[in-house]
Amino acid sequence: MNFRILRVALDVPLPRLFDYTVDAVTQEDVGRCIRVPFGNGEKIGVIVALADTSEHAKLKQAGEILRALPALPADWLALTEFCSRYYQHPLGEVMALALPPQLRRGKLPAVRKAKPIQVIEQAAPQLPELLPEQASAVAAVAADFGRYAAFLLHGVTGSGKTEVYLRLIEQTLAQGRQALMLVPEIALTPQLESRVAARFPNALVFSAHSGMTEGARSRGFIAALDGRADIVLGTRLAVFSPLPRLGLIVVDEEHDASFKQQEGLRYSARDVAVWRAHQCAVPIVLGSATPSLETFFHAGSGRYRLLELSRRAVALEMPTVRCIDTRREKLQDGMSSALLAALEVRLARSEQSLVFLNRRGYAPVLACPACGWVSRCSRCAANLVVHLADRRLRCHHCGLEEIIPKHCPGCGNLDIHPFGRGTQRLEEALAARFPNARILRVDRDSASTPKKWQALLETIHEGRADILVGTQMLAKGHDFPRLTLVGVVGADAALFAADFRAPERLFSQLMQVGGRSGRAALPGEVLIQTEYPTHPLYQALEAHDYPRFANSQLGERRAAGFPPFVFQVLLRAEARQLDDALAFLKVAAATARELLPEGVSLYDPVPMRLYRVMALERAQLLAESMSRPALQAFLARWVSRLYLQKAPRDLRWHIDVDPLEF
Amino acid sequence: MFGGSLLELAALRYTPAGIPALNFRIAHASEQVEAGVKRQVECEMACVAMGQMAQLLAAARPGDALRLTGFLSAKSLKSRTPVLHVNAIEFLEGMNHGI
Repeated sequence: MNFRILRVALDVPLPRLFDYTVDAVTQEDVGRCIRVPFGNGEKIGVIVALADTSEHAKLKQAGEILRALPALPADWLALTEFCSRYYQHPLGEVMALALPPQLRRGKLPAVRKAKPIQVIEQAAPQLPELLPEQASAVAAVAADFGRYAAFLLHGVTGSGKTEVYLRLIEQTLAQGRQALMLVPEIALTPQLESRVAARFPNALVFSAHSGMTEGARSRGFIAALDGRADIVLGTRLAVFSPLPRLGLIVVDEEHDASFKQQEGLRYSARDVAVWRAHQCAVPIVLGSATPSLETFFHAGSGRYRLLELSRRAVALEMPTVRCIDTRREKLQDGMSSALLAALEVRLARSEQSLVFLNRRGYAPVLACPACGWVSRCSRCAANLVVHLADRRLRCHHCGLEEIIPKHCPGCGNLDIHPFGRGTQRLEEALAARFPNARILRVDRDSASTPKKWQALLETIHEGRADILVGTQMLAKGHDFPRLTLVGVVGADAALFAADFRAPERLFSQLMQVGGRSGRAALPGEVLIQTEYPTHPLYQALEAHDYPRFANSQLGERRAAGFPPFVFQVLLRAEARQLDDALAFLKVAAATARELLPEGVSLYDPVPMRLYRVMALERAQLLAESMSRPALQAFLARWVSRLYLQKAPRDLRWHIDVDPLEF
Repeated sequence: MFGGSLLELAALRYTPAGIPALNFRIAHASEQVEAGVKRQVECEMACVAMGQMAQLLAAARPGDALRLTGFLSAKSLKSRTPVLHVNAIEFLEGMNHGI
């Protein structure tokens, strides 16, 4: 059959395909990139369908079909179409995100032998003996090879989840299938890469994350596409790797917020991975020590199967977790005498300690005690953070940077003070208190490049640091055998955050960071400074009882009607003036009320909590429903109307499905 | 103008912009005339020196006799207690030169 019309997805912010006429095209060309005229120029798009007729008159003639590039497979097209539909984002933009930049521009990566991750020659690694729970987890997943099944691998920190993944990948490779493994952060990929590559010296392992060069990303994508790659390892965007022989998907640290993209296509790579496992009829393993409440809920309802690793693999015991009541104590530079004493003990034993404070910079604000001036960001509804190391004030939201003023801009007072405490200030205080200790600060400022980050990790691993002062950067995935003490400072603020997910995040963060201690032969201790030592969250932490915490949170969420008991969608609008954004949302809300089906509820437009960022003022409108299909059906109709709604020129809006932040 | 002997001296500190600052207290004692009657007065005064003044004063020891010129300002928005901000310092020989 000879088709004359092509439907092409183009990277433009319009929710539609573009039709072109063509002389000769076959079904094999679906999924190929094509050069087409667009406006006054030319664009490269992806052929998604062939047709005989078009609803548009006067079609333009398509340009060259780029047959030198491999065609994208049907399941990949279906994946991007699903994302486009579910997240209400134009298909061309979804594809532009999913394709590596070179392919998007119609280029093949430079002809270089696709270079898999280098393996340093070493003797065949001694495989650790699996604990019974690990072995039964492996067996349970392996029993479902070849069909869709979703598993939650809930393993306490240090329980050897990675070993379970590796065994499953091994079996997947043995069956001649490909494995996809998603990890939350680029920072974690290098060590995992080398571990995976060393374990499977005969397999082709490729990584996929945004920190790679364009060429490397394209070569990996093509190797995955033509089936050569055996293992693809990467951050959220790796979920879009085409994998014709896919046999297993693993999502490590599935609770991590970085799986959700916060701009453009606001997709959750974890959720897309579950959809993909279903699509490709393969098992998927979601692993975490502190699963997201959504995932934990699914495991409880039987949608996912729960696999538990309740014991540590190498270390004998879980670290002891204890709260330090700071209500009656005068803290010294933010630290209690119990914490200082514990640090002293570790120093004497030459073991490592970590003081965890999830706030970088020297102090969160610079203020004038005489007139009350505070360092506000001129572009955001936020304070400028004092970075004393380089004498700067910085906005952590928009990146604005100013030199620290000599005197108060309000009243001229020279004696202005940093208020509060960040990692730099804690580092300074520890250095003054323990002059002989080697103190290492690890945050996004000290690890600003991958190279610096690697150097810091080496310093820690080689034991050339005694006390680490760090943010959440240190919380995840790292194994420091000599680290035996974790002190948590300033965690209470998150107990009272307005965001209903804040306790979930705090619990998982503290569980993760506490899990850094005592992972090897030495026993670990976690000290949490708090003014609320009887708070249920801290008590569950002390008992290492994630299920207790999760069930109590789920109880609260059920009572309050929050996710996972409802599905939510946000329409956000931003403009120079908050009133414009709110006015847009009011019209959108009126439209929504016309369409609103039974079972979907709509709230009122409100300014966002951080209502101003980068000189843009933002507001949002929430719709929710107990029924995802009802919400999705409403959303499709609503969004098509939104595209027609008039708006001021400077106004931008977007849809966030299953939003994580409000 | 205010004088007395240096009672206590905090460690030299720096503002975030790198300006030296020094907090100290002065014990003042003198003889004054009030409604035609001579009387003894004593008081203590919280003082602060900034910049060059702070560096100059960092070398002083408790007990040193000083004559200060400056201005008063509230300690903070919350505490309206005055603090003497020093613009000029004169080190006096010996003790008990209160004015």
